[in-house]
Amino acid sequence: MKDTVIEVLKSHFGADKDINESSHLMDDLGGDEFDIVDIIVQVEEKLDISIPEEETFDLMTVSQLLEVVGRHAGSD
Amino acid sequence: MLGQIKLVFFFLLLSGAAGGLWYVQHLKAENEILTLNNEKLNGAVEQQQQLIEQQLRDIEAKTDINKILTENNAKLTADLNLANEKFNKVNASGERRDVGNLALSKPKSIERIERKREQQRARCFEIAQGSPLTEEELNATKKSQINAECTNIANPNYIPY
Repeated sequence: MKDTVIEVLKSHFGADKDINESSHLMDDLGGDEFDIVDIIVQVEEKLDISIPEEETFDLMTVSQLLEVVGRHAGSD
Repeated sequence: MLGQIKLVFFFLLLSGAAGGLWYVQHLKAENEILTLNNEKLNGAVEQQQQLIEQQLRDIEAKTDINKILTENNAKLTADLNLANEKFNKVNASGERRDVGNLALSKPKSIERIERKREQQRARCFEIAQGSPLTEEELNATKKSQINAECTNIANPNYIPY
C-alpha cells in the first residue's frame, strides 16, 4: 500500500522528488489543494478503495495520507 | 466798478475752491471704493491661489493612487495568469488536471477548496483597495500559508519554489 502511494506521488510530482513520510504535500512537494484531491482519487483507483471525503479535508503530509489510506486499504 | 470786479473774482475763487473741494471729496470716495475693490480682488486672488494649490495637491494624490492601482492591477493580472496556469496544471507525468472530473469524484472537497479560494479572492480585493497586510500574510513563507489567489500582493515575503 505504501509503495502504491509513493508511486502515485512520484508520478504526480516527479520521480526526482525526495518523498518520505514527513514530506509536506504543499510545502515540500509543491502541490496545491487540488493536487491533494487528485492524488487521493488516483490512490483510490490504484488500490480500488473508497475514502470518505471528510477524512481527507485536512490532509497535508505523506504520513497523514498513508494513515488515511491504510485505514481503508486494510478494511476494503 | 472795482468793487464789482472784486466781488466777481471773489465768487469765482469761491466757486473754484468749492469745485476743488468737491473734486477732492469725490476722488477720496472713489479711492475708498477702489481700495475696497482692490482688497476684495486680493482676497479673491488669494482664494484662487489656495484653490489652485489644493487642486495641485489633489492631482498629486490622484496620481499616486493611480500609480498604486496600476501596480496592483499588474500584480492581479499576473496572479490571474498564474491562477489559470495552476487551474489547468499538468503533473510530472504530463497529465493535465481536470478539476471538473475531480469535482464529480470529490464534490465536498472541491467545494471546500473553492469556498476557501473565494474568501482569498475577497481578501485580494480588500488588499487591492488599500487594506494593510496582516502579520500572518506578511510572515507567510510556505505554500500552505499563502493566499493562492493573489500571492504577489498578499504575501510579499513568499518566494515560489
